[in-house]
Amino acid sequence: MNRNLSSAEKNNRNAETQGKKLMSILPVMLLLLAASVVVATAVGDVYIPFSDTVRIILKKWGLLKNIEFSYGHEAIIFNVRFPRVITAVLVGGALAASGTAMQGMFRNPMADPGLIGVSSGASLGAVTAVALGLTVKSLYFMPVLAAFGAAITALVIYLLAARDKKVPVLTLVLAGIAVGTFISSVTSMILMSLHQQNQIKEFLFWSIGGLNDRRWEHVKLIALPVIICVLIMMFFSKDLNILLLGEEEAQSLGLDPVKARRGLLFLASAATASAISVGGNISFVGLIVPHIMRLILGPDHRVLLPASFFGGSVFLILCDIIGRVMFPVEVNAGIITSLVGAPYFLYLLIMARKGGNLL
Amino acid sequence: MGERMVLEIKGLSFSIDERKILKNIDLKVEKGEFIGLIGPNGAGKSTLLKCINGINKAEGSIKVKGCEISKLDGRKIAREISLMHQDTLITFPFQVIDVVLMGRYPHNGRLKGESLEDYEIARRYMKLTETLELSERKITNVSGGERQRVLFAKTLTQETGIILLDEPTASLDIAYQEQIFDYARELSGNGKTVIAAVHDLKIAARYCNRLILMKDGIILADGKPAEVLTAENLKSAYGVNAIIYRNSITGQMDFYISKRNGEKKGTVHVIGGGGSASGVMRYLFERGYTISSGVLWSGDSDLRFAEVFGIKCIKCDPFCEISEEIYQSNVALIKESEFTIISNMPFGNSNIKNLEAALNAKRLVIIEDEPPEIRDYTEGKALTLYNELKSKAIVTTSARLHEIL
Repeated sequence: MNRNLSSAEKNNRNAETQGKKLMSILPVMLLLLAASVVVATAVGDVYIPFSDTVRIILKKWGLLKNIEFSYGHEAIIFNVRFPRVITAVLVGGALAASGTAMQGMFRNPMADPGLIGVSSGASLGAVTAVALGLTVKSLYFMPVLAAFGAAITALVIYLLAARDKKVPVLTLVLAGIAVGTFISSVTSMILMSLHQQNQIKEFLFWSIGGLNDRRWEHVKLIALPVIICVLIMMFFSKDLNILLLGEEEAQSLGLDPVKARRGLLFLASAATASAISVGGNISFVGLIVPHIMRLILGPDHRVLLPASFFGGSVFLILCDIIGRVMFPVEVNAGIITSLVGAPYFLYLLIMARKGGNLL
Repeated sequence: MGERMVLEIKGLSFSIDERKILKNIDLKVEKGEFIGLIGPNGAGKSTLLKCINGINKAEGSIKVKGCEISKLDGRKIAREISLMHQDTLITFPFQVIDVVLMGRYPHNGRLKGESLEDYEIARRYMKLTETLELSERKITNVSGGERQRVLFAKTLTQETGIILLDEPTASLDIAYQEQIFDYARELSGNGKTVIAAVHDLKIAARYCNRLILMKDGIILADGKPAEVLTAENLKSAYGVNAIIYRNSITGQMDFYISKRNGEKKGTVHVIGGGGSASGVMRYLFERGYTISSGVLWSGDSDLRFAEVFGIKCIKCDPFCEISEEIYQSNVALIKESEFTIISNMPFGNSNIKNLEAALNAKRLVIIEDEPPEIRDYTEGKALTLYNELKSKAIVTTSARLHEIL
C-alpha cells in the first residue's frame, strides 16, 4: 500500500515535470541566448565593456534615459554588431530547428537539411547573382537568388522522389545526391567563367558561410520566414514524436505520415533556404545541435524543437565570437562550425561503430 | 442484433503490385467478441488487420459502427480502432511513459499537453501490463519482451472499442504470453472487441471465442474453435496431418502434428497398459506401421491414445476380468500381426491373460526398460510366464526399438 502510494506520487510529479519541462528549459535557454548576445556585441576589435553594452541596448529600447555614450560605440553596436548577432540567432536557430525536424521525420539521427539539396541549390543561386553582377547593385539580390535556388532544387528533388503520394527516404537521399552533384557542377562551371578576382572571392565568402558585414537588411529579409516556419514546425512537434514510432504506428494513431512529412519537409526547406541565403553554407549546425540537445533533453520534440532553435542560435554566436577573437585574422563562422562539427561527427561515427547507441 | 454489430466487412480485396493478398473477404464482428485470426505465414492475417484500421487502402466496404471507414479521417478511426503492430522499433530514446502516452494522441489536440487524466489512463494500463516500474526507463534500453508489453500498454491507452493485435506475443516468454491473452479476454468480456492474429493454435483455441482460419487471402473457416480446428481444415490450411484431441490432463484442446507419410509398413500388435504403450504406439504410428492393441481397460491412457490415433483396439470394462471372448479376439489380432510387442507394462492378476495371448505371436519383441521384478504385482506368477516369453523373444528397450522396427 505504502509502495503504491509513493509510486503514484512519483508519477504525479512526473506528470507535472513533463508539463513544465519546457517552461523550465525556456528561461535557461533565453538567459544563455541573452548572455551570448551581450558578449558577442561587446567583444571585437573595439572592446566595449559589458555594462555599457547592456545599457546601450536598454537605452535603445527606451528602458534607460539620460545616458550619453560615445556615438562611435552606439554606432558599432547598432549598425555593425547587433544586426550580425541577430542574423546569427536567426540563421543558427533556423538550421538547428530544421535539422531537428529532418532527423525526426526521417527517423534518422544522421539526417540534416543538406539532405534535400538546399545548399547546392542556394549556391547556384548565389553564384548566378555574382556572375550577373547583381551583387553590386543591391545586397538583396544574393540572398533572394540563393533562397530561390534552394527552393527550386528542393522541389525538384521532392518531385523526383515522390511516388504514389509517398516519399521513400532512400529515393529522396539518392535523388538529393544526384541533383546536388549536378547542380554543383553547374555552379563550378559558372564559377570558372568568372574573370574578376573579387567576384570569385565574393562567392567563396558566401559559400564558406559566415556573418561578416551582415546588416539590418539581412535581418529584415529572413526574420519573418524563419520565425513563421519555426513556429509552425513547433505546432507539429507532437506529430514529429508520433512519426518517430514509424509509418504504420503513426497511421494507427490517426496521423497521416505522408502529409505530415511533406508539410514538415516544406517548412524545414523554407527555413533552411532562408538561413543559408543570408548566412551562406554554414555546415554541421543542423546536424550536431539537435544531437547535443537530444542528449541533454531527450527526444520529445515539444521541448527539443524550441531548445534546438535557441541552441543553434547560441552555438552560431559562439562560433562567430571564436572566429573574430581567437585568430590573428577574422575567420568565418562557417569555418568554425565545421572545425568543431566535423570532429564531433566523427566521434558519433566511432561510437556507432563500437556498437554504442547513436543517441 | 444490428446494434451489437461493430464491424462489417463486405467484398474486401487488397493487392500489392497486382498480386492479390486478400480476395473478397466478408466478415461480421459483434461487440465483445475475441477473435483469433489463424493461418499459415503469408495467409494475409496482418494485411487484413491493416485494412480494418485503414492503413491499407482496400477495395470493398469496411463499416465500423455503421460508418464507412474510407469516409472517416485518421484521428476518428484511431479513436475507434487501435492496432498493435508486430515489429515496432523505436530508435529514439523516449521514456517509457512518454511512449505509452502517445496512445492518447488521437484524443488530444496538437497543442494540448497530456492532462493528469491522460497520465492516469496510461498508468492504469501500465500497471496492468506490469510496465509501471519501467516508467522512467528509456524505451531503447528495455528488453524485447518489455518493449512488447509497453507497446501493448500504449495500444490499450488508446482506449478504443476495437483492438487489433498483430501477433502480440511474438517476443514474449510464456508467462507474459498467457497474460496478454488473459487480459485480452477480459477486455472482450468488458465489451471491447478484440481481433488478434495468432500463430499459436493452442493459445488461440483456449482464449478466443471465435477463430477465423485464413489461407491465400481467403477465409477458409470461421466459427467456434472446435468447429474451425478440425483435422480437415488444418490439412488444407497448413498442409499437415493434425490429430486433434482433448488433453486429458489439462482438459484443453491439443494437437499432435504427425509427420507420417503415406508409406505402409507391416502390422504390429502392442500389448501394454497403464500408459506404458503410448510412446511405443506413437513411434510405430509415425513409422507407418498398421497397429493394433489389446487388451486395454477403459480409462487407461493407452486406450485413450489408441482411440485418438485411430488404432484398432480390444477393450474391456474397467476392473473386470478378461472374458474368454475378448481373450480370443485379442489372440486373433496377435496371430494376424507380423510382430507383437510387449511394452514395459506392469503385471497384475487381471492382465496376465495378455501375456498368455502373447504366446501366439509370430515374432515377439519385449521392451524392458525396468526389471520385470519391480513391475510384478502377482507374486511371481506373471514372472514365470514372462521369462518363458523372453526366451523366444527379442528383448530391447524403448530407446533402442528403432534397431528392430
